[in-house]
Amino acid sequence: MIEATLSQASLLKKIVEAIRELVDAANFDFSETGIRLQAMDKSHVALSFLHLRNDGFSDYRCDRSQTIGINLASLSKILKCAANDDEVRINAADSAETLELTFESSGKDRVSKFNLKLMDIDTDSVDVPEMDYQATVSMSSQEFARIVRDLMSIGDTVSIDATKQGVQFSAAGDDGKGSIMLKHQRTSDDEKSSPSTTVEINEPVSHSLALKYLSNFAKAAPLADRVTINLIEEAPVMFEFKISDIGHIRFYLAPQIDEEMDG
Amino acid sequence: MQVIADRAPGAVRKVEMQHLVGRKIAIDASTSLYQFLVAVRSEGNTLTSSDGSATSHLIGLLYRTVNMVETGLKPVYVFDGKPPTMKGGELAKRRERREKAEESLKAAEEEGDEDEVVKQKKRLTKVTPVINEQAKRLLKLMGIPYVTAPCEAEAECAALAKAGKVWAAASQDMDTLLFGTPVLLRNLTAPAARKLPIEEIRLDEVLSGLEYTLEQLIDMGIILGCDYCDSVHGVGPKSGYEHIKRHKSIEEAIKTEKFAKGVPPEWPFDQARDLFRNAEVSECSTDFVWEKPDTEGLVQFLVHEMEFNEQRVRSAAAKLEKAAGKGQQVRIDSFFKITAARKVVKREPAKSGTKRKDATAGAGSAKKTKK
Repeated sequence: MIEATLSQASLLKKIVEAIRELVDAANFDFSETGIRLQAMDKSHVALSFLHLRNDGFSDYRCDRSQTIGINLASLSKILKCAANDDEVRINAADSAETLELTFESSGKDRVSKFNLKLMDIDTDSVDVPEMDYQATVSMSSQEFARIVRDLMSIGDTVSIDATKQGVQFSAAGDDGKGSIMLKHQRTSDDEKSSPSTTVEINEPVSHSLALKYLSNFAKAAPLADRVTINLIEEAPVMFEFKISDIGHIRFYLAPQIDEEMDG
Repeated sequence: MQVIADRAPGAVRKVEMQHLVGRKIAIDASTSLYQFLVAVRSEGNTLTSSDGSATSHLIGLLYRTVNMVETGLKPVYVFDGKPPTMKGGELAKRRERREKAEESLKAAEEEGDEDEVVKQKKRLTKVTPVINEQAKRLLKLMGIPYVTAPCEAEAECAALAKAGKVWAAASQDMDTLLFGTPVLLRNLTAPAARKLPIEEIRLDEVLSGLEYTLEQLIDMGIILGCDYCDSVHGVGPKSGYEHIKRHKSIEEAIKTEKFAKGVPPEWPFDQARDLFRNAEVSECSTDFVWEKPDTEGLVQFLVHEMEFNEQRVRSAAAKLEKAAGKGQQVRIDSFFKITAARKVVKREPAKSGTKRKDATAGAGSAKKTKK
């Protein structure tokens, strides 16, 4: 038996929009402590992680851990039927075949109910070890989205170079090349609202990444003011969007390497 | 093999080409070229240039390989070397079949049965040395690595996969699994138009599904028919599986009367088994290199000699060039450990009234009809 209530439908909408381009269907693991999702894209290059803590919901109950397979395109369609400030209630019985979604308007004068058929999804699960990243870039998520958009008009691949001085994003294509440098700013007192960029670094790191995945990750920008980019040699790059008071979305992206290093 | 689909359904996965991004794959060239020759046709004839030399295999090889490279796969083609002597029987059989097909073709042509003509012409399709040499020349110009196996291409593909030089072997021939490839891909070079899903078959899951050792799988393969000796008469997939399951080996199974009476008079199963277990393969020591294409060389060969459309050849070359210039995309699973497919408890198949409310409403109406 699962019951979860979120006071703002917009939050759930944004979460689904952030991952549905990367994964068509995914298993949501409901447990006493909250909801987790782990999914890889078709080509096994990007891994998406979602964690929503139980205390972030206005009401949350899960008697028995349960995995629910959902087609994200269908869920997205149903969520379009909810107004942004509707309250959303999610219900599923033990081993249910459908998920019930109830949207209640802020004036409590309109209640709509939808049932979504569930799916059986066989997925590979990935063990992600905790890593000591060599560099962590913290920047405005809007700025991140803009850089990705700008560089996509230049090429397919972005090179992210983190140094003590800051972080540089660069791309090259048939018509030319471009780069954007964000300089490291000393942390200001009120970090959250400041649009500045910080780079915590042990060693300079550089990775080449496929921009089409980054543009998918950028869809999570509406969920969080800031994004952190965590880099380490010889491992996927991790992008983290912290969703205030409830959890986070993390994306892991395997880099592209030069042929010479391939062996 | 049907046995695998029945007994080890988890071992066979239908995948899209995208799933294989970043994978190095050894492709059995002869089955691929055969597929192209059969598939790329117009009115039942292979496509030819004006002087009559076949071009179907080159068209198929060019476009399918470009497609793979563009998606991010790293193909290596493996050509057959000398045939093993054991294959003599199979080759003689093929010769017989060709002769038969030729006769039927003649008959069909006289009768004017066009469908039959097409069918027989496909049967007559053969990968000739000329076709192999042209394919190699094309691959070289495309910057795609290829090797010639010391003996059988399937065995070499499997050996490369076992040695970790490539991730999988691609062949239509299930024998490749018996040669011990950890992963076998089928339909990789099947024409896109037929929309056959690529099948990814994992040896370890096949073995655990059948509860077999590789030796036992080889024995079953021999019983059911491989390239090297005749199958056992009257033993189908089901009983073949049972025989090995119960008796563990051909030596033991042959002691039972039911099995023994189907054994062909000359049945060198132990030699066939040896060919699988100790196949003649290279040392698999070379690392493969994917290079940029030689665009002008491709134009010379395909446009000037084989009369391809220049624009299309150049656009294919441009795609290869672009893919070669890009860094190699790595996969998440080359960094993080993936645990096998999680088995979700099977839900009842969705019926029309899956909603709870519908179910109760249905029960109510059922009562009504009783009245």
